[in-house]
Amino acid sequence: MAYLDLTNISKTYGTDGRKVQAVAPLTLAMDRGQIVTFLGPSGCGKTTVMRMVGGLETPTTGTITLDGARLGGPDRRRGMVFQSYAAFPWLTVAGNIRLGLKYRADLSASDREDTVNRFIELVGLKGFADSYTNQISGGMRQRVAIARTLAANPDILLMDEPFGALDALTREHLQNKLLEINRTAGKTTIFVTHDVEEAILLAHRLVVFSARPARVLEDINVTEQLGPDDRDQALRDTPAFLSLRREVQQIIRAEYIRAEAEAAHAP
Amino acid sequence: MFGFRTSLPRRTELALGLAGLLLFLGLWHVASVSGWVKQQFLPTPFAVVEAFGRLFTERNFAGDIAISVGRVWLAFLLSVIVAVPLGLLMSCYRAVGAFVEPFVDFIRYLPVPAMVPLLIIWFGVGEASKIAVLWMGTFFQLVLLISDDTKRVPAEYVESGFTLGASQWQVIRDIVFPAALPNIVDNLRITLGWCWTYLIIAEIVAASSGIGHVIWSLRRFVKTPEVMAGIVAIGIIGLLTDQAFRWAHRRRFRYLER
Repeated sequence: MAYLDLTNISKTYGTDGRKVQAVAPLTLAMDRGQIVTFLGPSGCGKTTVMRMVGGLETPTTGTITLDGARLGGPDRRRGMVFQSYAAFPWLTVAGNIRLGLKYRADLSASDREDTVNRFIELVGLKGFADSYTNQISGGMRQRVAIARTLAANPDILLMDEPFGALDALTREHLQNKLLEINRTAGKTTIFVTHDVEEAILLAHRLVVFSARPARVLEDINVTEQLGPDDRDQALRDTPAFLSLRREVQQIIRAEYIRAEAEAAHAP
Repeated sequence: MFGFRTSLPRRTELALGLAGLLLFLGLWHVASVSGWVKQQFLPTPFAVVEAFGRLFTERNFAGDIAISVGRVWLAFLLSVIVAVPLGLLMSCYRAVGAFVEPFVDFIRYLPVPAMVPLLIIWFGVGEASKIAVLWMGTFFQLVLLISDDTKRVPAEYVESGFTLGASQWQVIRDIVFPAALPNIVDNLRITLGWCWTYLIIAEIVAASSGIGHVIWSLRRFVKTPEVMAGIVAIGIIGLLTDQAFRWAHRRRFRYLER
């Protein structure tokens, strides 16, 4: 048994007449500390898979277990970072992070303030502790959300295209930050994206999904191909990275062609 | 000055607002002085200002204002105390919404003036019936507005809260309520304005004090300047309250500025 087990989970929306299957029965096992990226065409159901892990959607069939125990609705064990509406605008940077600690019973009052400061520093926002989110950039807001989620000390970090709405330069900067954070925090992470390079750069393991309903098309051990953790943006220019990128792009292109042909033949 | 969807300097805005007001007063004055309209029906602005002064010197108008303001705020607060928690629950729990909405929608469409006779039968002609009229007029509107405000809180905020480990109650208290608060306060400001409409109706029908009572009793002696002065007083109170609300909103919710 692995750390996180998704066994035969599927998701069907709608009732009786109009049913849409978003996720076909799917089985995935993840190790502790592993960073898995989910890549696939938009609307393919990869986010739904992640939301089921987070307890924000109930699987139609199948079970999800963490450390052997079956998972239900959302709780502190699975922290989530969203693409938009990430940081709460009515709280300062420190206030946002403090909220991440608020529901933890394992901290004393003085520990709390220390932890707030530690996470502010971890995401490089020292000096912005008392700023409201309207005074900082979109990239910084995303970092606030990451820090707030990490502050709650979840077992698993779920990230739903967290850099999707940012410009390319900011996105690279945040990818570096995340790589850096991962080296220290070492959280088991699911990271959903539709950016091929991002999916490779951040991953220990890359899961490519089919068009809707989501199936696992390819499960790639990125660590094996690109070497261990010590990564940065320079990796993008290495032959190993480029060949892996080409391979993944070909898988996705072939999937688009297959899905279109299937749609054309559908009744 | 006529830049398409551009903003204007604060001073220009004030000047334009003042110019609009002065033009209105000017036309009014001309209409009255020139005899287009009999002064008995339309006294000049100056006559109204004089009457405004007389209201305070010849009768205790300040006391009437205090009574009316007190009635409005008491009824308004009673509405808010019930509407805010109920509106939050309606949007967070569909069962509460489904249970309450049809009833609220039904009452909401009843014209409040039609309720006045019934409320007088129930509560008599004392303070209770006036408060009841105001409460009826605002509560059923407010509860739906608040429910809508909280429904518009992005799902991401709520889901973030649950994945941080908050309970349902904690999500309502720490996330849904503060997220919706700026819109709630805006709707409170608008609803408070409606209170004045219903107050005057209540005070005209059955009261021996308050601005509405003053206006209605002076009408009997065709004291048009005083009647108009009474109406202007309501306008001034409304304007001041509205501006105070806006000022407090800007101050309290500074984080909304772009």
